[in-house]
Amino acid sequence: MSAVDRLVAPFRRVTDDDRPAALTLLAGAIAAAVLSPLIWILLRVLQVDTSYAASILLRRTTVEILLTSLGLVGAVTAASILLGVPLAFLTVRTDLPLRRFWTIAVALPLVIPSYLGAFTFISAFGPSGQLADVLAPLGVDIPTIYGFWGTTLILTLYTYPYVFITTRASLLSFDQQLVEAARSLGISRWEAFKRVTLPQLLPGIASGGLLVALYALSDFGTPSLMRLDVFTRVIYVEYNAFGRETAALLSVQLLAITAVILAIESRVGNESDGAYVGTKSGGENGTTVSLGAWKLPALGFCATVVFLCLVVPLWILAHWLVRSPSQATRTGLEFQWIFAANSALVSLAAALACAVLAVPVAYLAATHRSKLAELIDRATYVGYAMPGIVLGLALVFFAVWYESSANALLGGDFAPTLYQALPLLIFAYVVRFLPQAVGATRSSVLRVDQSLSEAARSLGRSPVDAFREITLPLIAPGVIGGAALVFLTTMKELPATLLLHPTGFETLVTYIWSVREVGYYGSAAIPALALIVVSGLSMVVILSQETQ
Amino acid sequence: MDRDTRDGARWSGGRRRDFLKLTGATAGLAALAGCGGDDGESEYTRSEPIPEPTTYAAGDLYNIEEWRGTGPLIGERPDEYEGRSMLDLPDLRGELEVYLGGGEGGLYENLMKRIQNTYREFEVFIRKAPSSQLANTIVEETSAGQSPADIFWAIDAGSVGIVADNDATVSLPEPLTTVIPDTFHPTDEWVGTMGRARSIPYNTNEFDAEDIPDNILAFDSDDRFDDAMGWAPTYGAFQSFVTAMRLIEGESRTREWLNGVQELNIGTYDNELVVANRVASGELSSGFSNHYYSRLVREERPDAPLELAFTRNDAGALINCSGTEIIKGTGNETLAVDFLHHLLSIEAQEFLATRGYEYPLLPSVPPVGDLPTIDELNPPDFDLSRLSDVEPTLQLLRDTGAL
Repeated sequence: MSAVDRLVAPFRRVTDDDRPAALTLLAGAIAAAVLSPLIWILLRVLQVDTSYAASILLRRTTVEILLTSLGLVGAVTAASILLGVPLAFLTVRTDLPLRRFWTIAVALPLVIPSYLGAFTFISAFGPSGQLADVLAPLGVDIPTIYGFWGTTLILTLYTYPYVFITTRASLLSFDQQLVEAARSLGISRWEAFKRVTLPQLLPGIASGGLLVALYALSDFGTPSLMRLDVFTRVIYVEYNAFGRETAALLSVQLLAITAVILAIESRVGNESDGAYVGTKSGGENGTTVSLGAWKLPALGFCATVVFLCLVVPLWILAHWLVRSPSQATRTGLEFQWIFAANSALVSLAAALACAVLAVPVAYLAATHRSKLAELIDRATYVGYAMPGIVLGLALVFFAVWYESSANALLGGDFAPTLYQALPLLIFAYVVRFLPQAVGATRSSVLRVDQSLSEAARSLGRSPVDAFREITLPLIAPGVIGGAALVFLTTMKELPATLLLHPTGFETLVTYIWSVREVGYYGSAAIPALALIVVSGLSMVVILSQETQ
Repeated sequence: MDRDTRDGARWSGGRRRDFLKLTGATAGLAALAGCGGDDGESEYTRSEPIPEPTTYAAGDLYNIEEWRGTGPLIGERPDEYEGRSMLDLPDLRGELEVYLGGGEGGLYENLMKRIQNTYREFEVFIRKAPSSQLANTIVEETSAGQSPADIFWAIDAGSVGIVADNDATVSLPEPLTTVIPDTFHPTDEWVGTMGRARSIPYNTNEFDAEDIPDNILAFDSDDRFDDAMGWAPTYGAFQSFVTAMRLIEGESRTREWLNGVQELNIGTYDNELVVANRVASGELSSGFSNHYYSRLVREERPDAPLELAFTRNDAGALINCSGTEIIKGTGNETLAVDFLHHLLSIEAQEFLATRGYEYPLLPSVPPVGDLPTIDELNPPDFDLSRLSDVEPTLQLLRDTGAL
């Protein structure tokens, strides 16, 4: 970090007129590509009779679902900030014992798919669950885990690491001397926090909070297992009941909420415009806060979080592994390690694609802060909130349509296969997870001193050479961190994978789905553990990029 | 290694094969005549006729003991079966893409692989996903162009029905559907393969068989079931049962039933296996579940005090089925039809019946254990395609607080 940060300067505002046309076109094309599945939703909505549409949108249950969804997004985001920010502070700025260990341990819940988390929680704490049975004789009565608060709890436990990671990044690049300077100028501690610390941390918290909010909005598995009627669950129920038009209508509403969330985050992010960025990172510069008497409560806090997020699910998985019932009479597909390799392969491809595509979008947004650049940047986030089944069916339609029309045009079976081929699946992952790479890359570009590449230009380098030789090495940690984030979320993605994978191409999650569906929990344990271990490695990559 | 093991079996068949060929030839003419009434889109052509169903001694079937599963619950199997043997069906040659919705934990997949391995030049590509999702996919594919699927085989009749309703299937030739009771092919667009019956599992220490009402509507007002029953309202099969009740008895009677059962403090569980387990342990005296969950309990605890009761001619006796159909525009219609004949052959039905716990829909293949045969059950007169109408059911379950 220090090598980078010695070069960090206040980010420059560049006026609109030196916005390079080629870069804008490229970034715009990327945004348009990831937004293209929306066309399908509009096609489907246009098939709906207007009076029917009005009756669906205005019916009592739709309003209830809207309020529940908004409440869930708000509660999960707030709770994730309450959990993620203190944990980030504890692991960056204090003398918490075993800081390195806690840093990794509290970031790891992100690798556990939230539906798996929900499932193990129900096994542990649900009606006559395993832990509930242990606790009952001790007089501990666990309230029902189904419903709004249970869903909030689970989603928070498995998404707060987004806030944790982005807040850590802000804290690590935060120059503590700024606060001291402010204090020496006679500003009160509170004023210094409000005017110096907060504006610098807010963009980090907001970008993590945005990922949490959109995840909470788009997740299907958790609300479904916890029996809470939110948009995604109702959309799935509509698809199960073959109400495709109603599902499309509800998807439009979901996307409207997404737009509102993106607008809110933009405003919070922009409040930092006037913030002065320091020249020295605060990570290891000796301004560590001593916890004193708070050491034990702080440790207890970390331990509780790790117990709930990691120990409970791993314990249940181990339990399934040991107690898997005999399957003498029925033999499904045996687990093969090739499934893990397949998962890693597509996730790696998605991570690479996202890393490459994120650079133009993030670079444009960070260096040319115009309305258009911001719009392009925001547009890449829309896919993240699109439920996997909606995205999947949209791509099914387009791919089949393309193949049929291309073959009709060419008069034979000549068009290259797209449908049920890996490139289409990877494209689906890019649509869903590109914003994670864009966010990480954008903040790393913001930290690069533009005068460096200008110096290179003045020494006769072309813009492309200057970018390659100066900017790229400096933003590499951010790009790699973002790609690793894409990798681990792709590893756990289920709905789009089920719809679009090549026939016969089994991955860890599709295998877990197929055995879990019929109640072979024992068979789900090994692939689930493999998923956690492989994704856990990418978490180590993310955290190691911080300190470079 | 010789993959065409079926040919090997034929060689050892000797005289029997000649005899079967003879009966097959006359039957085949009728079969050919049977497919004349198609809808015009059909590309189904075959020179070699499909034999008429006939009676086989177990030993005359194609290595029946290899298809049959083993285990303590399987008990005695018949000496004679009526239907078609795989030995007398046309050889399969070519490739098929099958969309498989659900599939009994890999059992359906295993059957298809086994059929594939019987032939040297036949390959089946299987795509698995939740059945409703595959149904949506096929509808989406056919609205955009051509589905890559030749066959859709799904665990619930609703999904198969919705694909047929969207005009995405071709009519099946009559010889294929005649072997299966009409209830399980309400149209010619699809045919049932295996059945799952709704049932009342009860604890034999608490009740005798005659204590259990044979009318599902009697359960909402019977004090003997106060604080004693369990259900799993989130489970798809339970929701299908409520859908059937709603469509048979009407919405208000169903609402009354749901409220009444809840006033009897019915216990809510995550799935029906838990319900069956609780009944076996005596924690509950009875419950509502699919029939095969009690078989799973028995497999782990052979002497569990658990029996099944079945209601008569109402939603409580619903038999849902897995079904299969051929997707419109397939370039392999003849092969697809021949493949479906294999799924409905005596060997395949025996395979699925003895390795899983579903009801074979070929009437001469009995279910395992001491289950009543499918002829002895009294399912309601009900078009299974209508089970796709789930949404009002979910609304009703929510309104009454069951969900």
